[in-house]
Amino acid sequence: MRNTRGRLTAELRSAREPSEVQLQRFGEFLARTYQRKVPLHWEQDASLRSGFWLQVGSDVYDWTLDGRMRQFTDYLRQLQTGTNDLLPLMRQAAKDWSLAVVPEEIGEVRTVDGEIAVVDGLEHARYGEILLFDSGVKGMVQDLRRKELSCVLFGDSEEVSAGGMVRRTHKTAGMPVGDAFLGRVVDALGVPIDGKGRIHSQSYRPIEAPAPSILDRQPVNTPMETGILTIDSMFPIGRGQRELIIGDRQTGKTAIALDTILNQKGKNVVCIYVAIGQKTSSVAQLVENLNRRGAMEYTTVVSACAGSSAALQYIAPYAGCALGEYFMNQGQDVLIVYDDLSKHAIAYRALSLLLERSPGREAYPGDVFYLHSRLLERAAHLSDERGGGSMTALPIVETQAGDVSAYIPTNIISITDGQIFLESELFFSGQRPAVNVGLSVSRVGGDAQTRAMKSAAGAIRLDLAQYREMEVFTQFSSDLDAATKRQLAYGQGLMRLLRQNQYAPFSQHQQVITLTAALHHIMQDVPLDRLDEFRKELLAFVEKQVPDLCRRIDLTGLLTSEDREELLALSRQFLESSRPAEKHGG
Amino acid sequence: MERGIIVQISGPVVDVEIQEGPLPRLREELTVERDGVLRVMEVAQHVGRGTVRCIMLSPSEGLARGLAVDVPGHTIQVPVGRATLGRMFNVLGQPIDGDGALPDDTPVRSIYRTPPSFEEQSPAVEILETGIKVIDLLEPYPRGGKIGLFGGAGVGKTVLIQELIHNVAMEHGGYSIFTGVGERSREGNDLWREMRESGVSDKTALVFGQMNESPGVRMRVALSGLTMAEYFRDVEHKDVLLFIDNIFRFVQAGSEVSTLLGRMPSAVGYQPTLANEMGALQERIASTKDGSVTSVQAVYVPADDLTDPATATTFAHLDATTVLSRKISEQGIYPAVDPLASSSRILEADTVGELHYRVARQVQEILEKYRELQDIIAILGMDELSDEDRHTVARARRLQRFLAQPTHVAEKFTGIPGVYVPLKDTLESFAAIVDGQLDQYPEAAFYNVGTWRDVVEKARKMEAGEA
Repeated sequence: MRNTRGRLTAELRSAREPSEVQLQRFGEFLARTYQRKVPLHWEQDASLRSGFWLQVGSDVYDWTLDGRMRQFTDYLRQLQTGTNDLLPLMRQAAKDWSLAVVPEEIGEVRTVDGEIAVVDGLEHARYGEILLFDSGVKGMVQDLRRKELSCVLFGDSEEVSAGGMVRRTHKTAGMPVGDAFLGRVVDALGVPIDGKGRIHSQSYRPIEAPAPSILDRQPVNTPMETGILTIDSMFPIGRGQRELIIGDRQTGKTAIALDTILNQKGKNVVCIYVAIGQKTSSVAQLVENLNRRGAMEYTTVVSACAGSSAALQYIAPYAGCALGEYFMNQGQDVLIVYDDLSKHAIAYRALSLLLERSPGREAYPGDVFYLHSRLLERAAHLSDERGGGSMTALPIVETQAGDVSAYIPTNIISITDGQIFLESELFFSGQRPAVNVGLSVSRVGGDAQTRAMKSAAGAIRLDLAQYREMEVFTQFSSDLDAATKRQLAYGQGLMRLLRQNQYAPFSQHQQVITLTAALHHIMQDVPLDRLDEFRKELLAFVEKQVPDLCRRIDLTGLLTSEDREELLALSRQFLESSRPAEKHGG
Repeated sequence: MERGIIVQISGPVVDVEIQEGPLPRLREELTVERDGVLRVMEVAQHVGRGTVRCIMLSPSEGLARGLAVDVPGHTIQVPVGRATLGRMFNVLGQPIDGDGALPDDTPVRSIYRTPPSFEEQSPAVEILETGIKVIDLLEPYPRGGKIGLFGGAGVGKTVLIQELIHNVAMEHGGYSIFTGVGERSREGNDLWREMRESGVSDKTALVFGQMNESPGVRMRVALSGLTMAEYFRDVEHKDVLLFIDNIFRFVQAGSEVSTLLGRMPSAVGYQPTLANEMGALQERIASTKDGSVTSVQAVYVPADDLTDPATATTFAHLDATTVLSRKISEQGIYPAVDPLASSSRILEADTVGELHYRVARQVQEILEKYRELQDIIAILGMDELSDEDRHTVARARRLQRFLAQPTHVAEKFTGIPGVYVPLKDTLESFAAIVDGQLDQYPEAAFYNVGTWRDVVEKARKMEAGEA
């Protein structure tokens, strides 16, 4: 029985007039299905060719040629196409198939406005369900009102016109997922856009899923090494952490994310890069870069470029996250980069305003915080009972004129477990990666640092903070005492050591050696412009002298105090040996 | 009994048409079942034509028009009393710690109650020692009072509130309720583990509605926690500590649903009812003649803007405020308390004593003077200052560094063990600095230490190390 309120009338359309017998059967069918007498009107419609079209309220029984073909196609789609014997399968399918007598709900487009369509009918459509327009464009239900519903469009709004038909798909918005997605570039609906053919998906996950509960988690305790000295030493990232990368445009935000992805090679981490509202050419370049460096084999790129509809840009990070969850739930470690969430917020603002929800601060809707909090909360380190997988999220946010206090940046800072703040002044003065040490923080990474790194990095962050404060305070003073001068030189040296080129990751032992030597003031008197070279030679020297120790640091992450003494002794020895050369040279 | 059907859905706001019987009253709970899961909503408005407008306390995804709705006939209720101790709950009072259901005879209470009346009030006049120097000296917390920790994103509110839990709740004899409102689930997990490990869980109940949950949950979870605290105060006559992290999220959730409820937005897009909502919650957090509730509330400052309506509205309800500042955290000084913006109602000679009052005011004077001089220093340099001003600057910089203190909670990041400084030592040390008795020690010796004895010790070590 169909639960439909109000008075019903049925409308029957066909190319030829139905016979008395047929009409009587329709009458019986209607009375049985709707438990009441439904008046029936017939109308001629030559475009239908063969079959009937019966509409009762918003229910439609489509037995026309087109309708039957569509039902058959849908049926074929559901077949398991795992084997190669396609023909017998098709034959069997054609034999088994019978026309279903289930009503389909059909709605009618009332208005279209850019990204939004308002649809009449579809009484039983669910909140968040995907709708299909007759041109093939998809949409997602965002508002259900008494007589109508609003949906956001995933495709070109020009292909949707008022009066057009809308069908339900009975699926909430989701993303096909599977291992075959690695190495591929897909759009926000999971459709490949890299021209490498279909992807065999293993299942379908809704894009909106509840985040792991408090009990399903465990503390972040394993490092996610970026290979970037500044980050691994001072703002270490752990598996399952959310660390924001924030800064003005052109300060190297994506470079950090990219370096981190590249550094995961051979570490058994699945990477997902979600591009939101970016130039297609930049994404193509990034994919090319990943390919060239062999990182694409463990990476999926989800792209909703600047040309995509706002709705696609809105769902892209959730789709990427759904894919990440698929791997995380299998106990794997996942790294997901959202590049970038400021454009995501802008896309959502556009949709919200078009849905006539009232604007708040900076015209963003009231729930823009929830937009990002429910996304980023889904990154977690799962408890052992849940398989122990993890998803590390690196959201990226672009600031304007270095203003971290703006609305979206502070919102996201208050969600993530820390932020890496990049500054354009530092960038242009050659301090790259241009990390502002004072404003950057990692709230949980300390637990995830290996013992070796922790003991080597020591209090470098506090040392640098005090150095910067001292630098500002003394910039106009002429007569500085020796201790202050020494402290300033030490700070400058540290800053110089933190410079690092892109695509040049340091392994853990290299970082440990550098930090141990630097923080024990061994490089104190090396001139700034010689530091890079000095470090390179020092690393080569130590690696040659104690290769076992280096390997042990990389593998175990441990550094005993004897090890440290050994490293220090070697560094001092190297310093002594390089001195005479310096004199000759300078 | 199924009495209504859903007729409209707009995000977390759902309209239900009641088909038989009287309309459910405002704040009554309604339930709807979909895919075997019971979802809860709460009546927020009567909108005419037999229809009520509700706020979902569960996700809206998958709901459809025409679904049948139950009217159980009461508001949201949470369990109260001793059975709640050692447990972790969600907004509806359901245990989420995996330890099974509560005993059947556990009393339940509606989360809506009236605040204590005028004659029941019992104003706070006694200091609650926290062991954190900058707080005890400059904005002493009143026992039984309401305390706010204000700060923008990432300046250390949660670390400070956890340090307070460590220093106060673990020493405190009474019960503690921790309510997580719209914060990180990871923090919930950390806190849960810590409670279990430190053995104070038999005196503590946790209630969480974190940032991944729908706005309806974040709007109501503070009330769930508060209701549990009130029961201990009113029925068991206990002194209760109530931690709320973060009260701003309560306002924020309200603004998320406000426009969907069809209300006009007020300043910066907040709900028009902001002050009333905050008042109704804050007035219930009070100490009465029966027992006391000392509440510590973290208050997020959106976009670092202290004049934001949500923040500004909260200020008025508090007895002591600690303001955390990004500028200070940038200098590596933690807890990043702004000594000049923070305040306490009980910092009066009558309440805290003559010595405390004098030292606190002198510290503020010196720091204020330094702030005024900073512009001059930035333009002309130190050399242009008079001798007296140089003395002030030197002392102020020592004070600034001395206000930093290693915390127990941050030990895992910094590797420096946390210290608890008794109030007596705090006063003695600051008195020594403002009186100029420690001028001979280098600035760096004052940084991140406990008492003046540690300064002397650190200076000695530095000298030995350098020489």
